[in-house]
Amino acid sequence: MSEIMDKVADIIRDMFEDYDGPVDGALTAEQVPDWDSLAQVKLMVAVEGEFGIRFESREINEPANVGELVEMIKKKLAKK
Amino acid sequence: MIPTGYAHLSALLDHQLAVYPEHRRYLEKRFAGASAEHLALTDELSGHVLRIAGDRIRTVCEDYKWMVGWTLDEELFFRRNGRYRLSKFADAYAEVYANTELMTRYVNGILASQIWWRNHTEVLGYFRDTFVAGNPKGFRHLEVGPGHGLFLYLAASSSDCASAEGWDISPASIAATREALLRMGNRSKIDLVEMDLARAPSRQFDSITFSEVLEHLEEPLAALKILHGLLAKGGRIFVNAPANSPMPDHLYLFRSPEEVVDMVRGAGFEVAGTMFAPPTGATLEQARKQLLSVSAVVIGTKP
Repeated sequence: MSEIMDKVADIIRDMFEDYDGPVDGALTAEQVPDWDSLAQVKLMVAVEGEFGIRFESREINEPANVGELVEMIKKKLAKK
Repeated sequence: MIPTGYAHLSALLDHQLAVYPEHRRYLEKRFAGASAEHLALTDELSGHVLRIAGDRIRTVCEDYKWMVGWTLDEELFFRRNGRYRLSKFADAYAEVYANTELMTRYVNGILASQIWWRNHTEVLGYFRDTFVAGNPKGFRHLEVGPGHGLFLYLAASSSDCASAEGWDISPASIAATREALLRMGNRSKIDLVEMDLARAPSRQFDSITFSEVLEHLEEPLAALKILHGLLAKGGRIFVNAPANSPMPDHLYLFRSPEEVVDMVRGAGFEVAGTMFAPPTGATLEQARKQLLSVSAVVIGTKP
């Protein structure tokens, strides 16, 4: 697992304490209890803080799964 | 699980899911583990919402969906910056209150949230069963900012209520409250008065409701002090304000429910009771840890 994926997985496990399933690129919000639109905002802000990046408002709900989120992070880090 | 067997709640759920099917998961969480008592309360309140909305119920449900999306940008700002975006009434007026179409949608959304947001429903139940039920015979009641009219209706419906008034600085809000009370079938005489609290006359009330107004004010303590002057000796006030609740027109940030309690005390009231209601799907502990919105209710007295 990449370092980015490891850090994203840590954020997800910290946010969703009751979820003990696998956290990988295929994971979607629908598979995790309590991962609603509000949690999505909190997650993306936590990712911003962890990686020192910033999402546009329209990007907050873009990633369809954790793998797409990791790709978004990689692209933003490459532009820094 | 979506509850069944509650006529009004079931009807309202059908309307909401028809326009917002992706909200099913949230609504299942909303009603997970709900007691029969809570469901009965929610069903009664759903009946009132259906009557208030009338043939606009689909629009009300659509506007609730819109409101949920609209407020996510405020949530984003709050999470990034640790404060509400606006702090001046003039800015909230320009962005929100002056926009009639937006305000209509917002008011509709808030009405539906009384059912869909568990903390809102619990506050209404506490109001009816603890605050109103604890008022003395012949109580003279005032609500400042009655809005959707549900609190005012519940208070005026008490057989112990001798008189009830609703004050609001906005004539449009007064008109909306009047219409809502009519639709709920209110038979009591409720005076609805256009009133700037800062210019309130020297009157005395035994019971005052001040629900979800404090956080909209630049100087909430000043408002509470005025209400202290309006409360008769031996009277009781019901204050309800959210902590950590980013909305486009929220100006004053209470960072914990205890800050609401402290402000009520700071205005000169003695605190007779409190109730802190976390949002749907969270315990109070989780809400505190994750800075989720908590409804803080304080019953204050004036010995």
